[in-house]
Amino acid sequence: MPCPPKPRLLLLLPTATYRATAFVEAARRLDVELTVASELPSTFEQAQPDRLLTLDFSDPERAAQQAYQFARTHPIAGVTGVDDTAAVVAAAIAERLGLKGNSVSAALAARDKHIQRSELARRGVPVPRFERHGLDEDVPELAARTRYPCVLKPLRLSASRGVIRADDPSGFVAAFARLQQILEQPEVAACGAWTRYVLVEDFVPGPEVALEGLVIEGRIHVLGLFDKPDPLDGPFFEETIYLTPSRFSEPARQDIVGCGQAAVAALGLWEGPIHAELRYNATGPWLIELAARPIGGRCSAVLRFTAGEGGRGNALASLEELIIRHALGMPLPALEREERAAGVMMIPVPGAGVLRDVRGIAEARAVPLVEDVVITAHLGQALVPWPEGSRYPGFIFARGETPEAVEAALRAAHRRLAFVIG
Amino acid sequence: MDVAEIRITAEPIDNARCKFLVSLPVHSGGVRRFSSSEAAQGSPLAEALFAIPGAEVTEVIVSGNLVTVVKRSAAPWQAIGKSVGAAIRSVLASGHAAVAPKPAAAAAPSGVDDDALYDRVAELFDAQVNPMVARHGGRVELIDVQDAVVMLRMAGGCQGCGMADVTLRQGIEAMLQEAVPEVKGIVDITDHTAGTNPYFAAAKK
Repeated sequence: MPCPPKPRLLLLLPTATYRATAFVEAARRLDVELTVASELPSTFEQAQPDRLLTLDFSDPERAAQQAYQFARTHPIAGVTGVDDTAAVVAAAIAERLGLKGNSVSAALAARDKHIQRSELARRGVPVPRFERHGLDEDVPELAARTRYPCVLKPLRLSASRGVIRADDPSGFVAAFARLQQILEQPEVAACGAWTRYVLVEDFVPGPEVALEGLVIEGRIHVLGLFDKPDPLDGPFFEETIYLTPSRFSEPARQDIVGCGQAAVAALGLWEGPIHAELRYNATGPWLIELAARPIGGRCSAVLRFTAGEGGRGNALASLEELIIRHALGMPLPALEREERAAGVMMIPVPGAGVLRDVRGIAEARAVPLVEDVVITAHLGQALVPWPEGSRYPGFIFARGETPEAVEAALRAAHRRLAFVIG
Repeated sequence: MDVAEIRITAEPIDNARCKFLVSLPVHSGGVRRFSSSEAAQGSPLAEALFAIPGAEVTEVIVSGNLVTVVKRSAAPWQAIGKSVGAAIRSVLASGHAAVAPKPAAAAAPSGVDDDALYDRVAELFDAQVNPMVARHGGRVELIDVQDAVVMLRMAGGCQGCGMADVTLRQGIEAMLQEAVPEVKGIVDITDHTAGTNPYFAAAKK
């Protein structure tokens, strides 16, 4: 009797992703047929047309039609996108092919901060007070009537690129000009009409957390709740340390998850990974961002899940394995993170310039509890600090018995690194 | 030799595989791959690595100053890596050859002739693989074939490229499966962290 065909996953991988290895290796471990689609062609696409595909990520409907044509000869059982743009394309493909996924309108709402804020506010989810302004507006006049402190944001850029706090009118004018410069860079301006607008919102004080989840039929299954122990008070919002489990009290954690769930419902997200960022203060949780994609960068390596019943002995499943299983309708293991505390540091950009050398990697790796130090910037790469930049030079991972011990290990490892910039 | 002079850098690929870059040559006679503790007999470094308690090592590949270890255990590399480092230092300090030379007539257990496979894979790389990756300034070097497993190194635009694993698994491995179906696997021994001109560089999303 012939074996039934393996299910085919269409994996939407932008070429600037950090996530290729994690997803490709997860698909191999799960023994699924994999087709990787990117916005630019692979040099092997003509030789391997069933495994590699080019889709127009800038036009989700066109990409969905391209995927539909592909699926006529290569049936697709599931689709997943790994970043903000790919998540919208994945939704369009899922709708076109009748696959598990989010609606395009929900994915778009998660993609665009103004649409997202509007929907969340309309449904009573606590969000900062916000306004959208055009780049051609009278900035001094805006500055004079804005409430402070405030935060200026682009509508769609990722990784807090272009996000700037202003504490007074002069700071507002300077921040607006700086963000406008970013939005008018040719490669950004070409991304669409959204680049002609700026979101201005109240600065919400308080510590920030990140909520990682898998949405199944509209309900969040929490995969991880991360504390961000370094204050994110601006003026720029480059991230550093993520630690899990969270040290917030159980009631506070429930409030945070409840807020995330309310946001998921408000946007209409129905299936797939989500990554939310929230602030928590005396009035409770505030939804700052909700993305219909998994955690970015290399950070997913910090999450490991017990394989559970039907799993592979004492093996631990990766976040990518869970996402692929869910997309393909394969049985899911228990969605429980391993018991140990874990953390990741997105290594701060040490300054502007060309990276000439990185010293102390072995010493950093030798710090107890540190599992790995990954330098993702290559020698000769221009390092660009926030708010103009969005690329971390690397990541440090640690695991231990307590979040405190993990945090200390991450900081100790970071102190051992020296970046030489020319 | 003073073991303190030996510097080792671990480069985990995932929780199963890790590359160890050693400051001194470990084995200068090409690539040796060991897929079992029995195959490791006579090669002190491979023997020591297969014997690490709790690691459940399943594969060791030694080439120049690079040692790649594959394990089955869920234990993190942070714990296992120290034992690997100690084994490498101990063997190098002994002054004996870390691994035995490759047998003259190596053949896979299936009876496949590695030398014949090497020639076919090399032809595929020359005729098809390298012209394709050259479009992105890349190059793929065939290092060896052992027990029907192809070992390769990526360079140029492929080295450190964010999409290198896609090229490897969706492109090169797929072509090998079609053109040389006797090939059982493919191992990338590239030090991707040393790439200085990757075709695609990553950004957090």
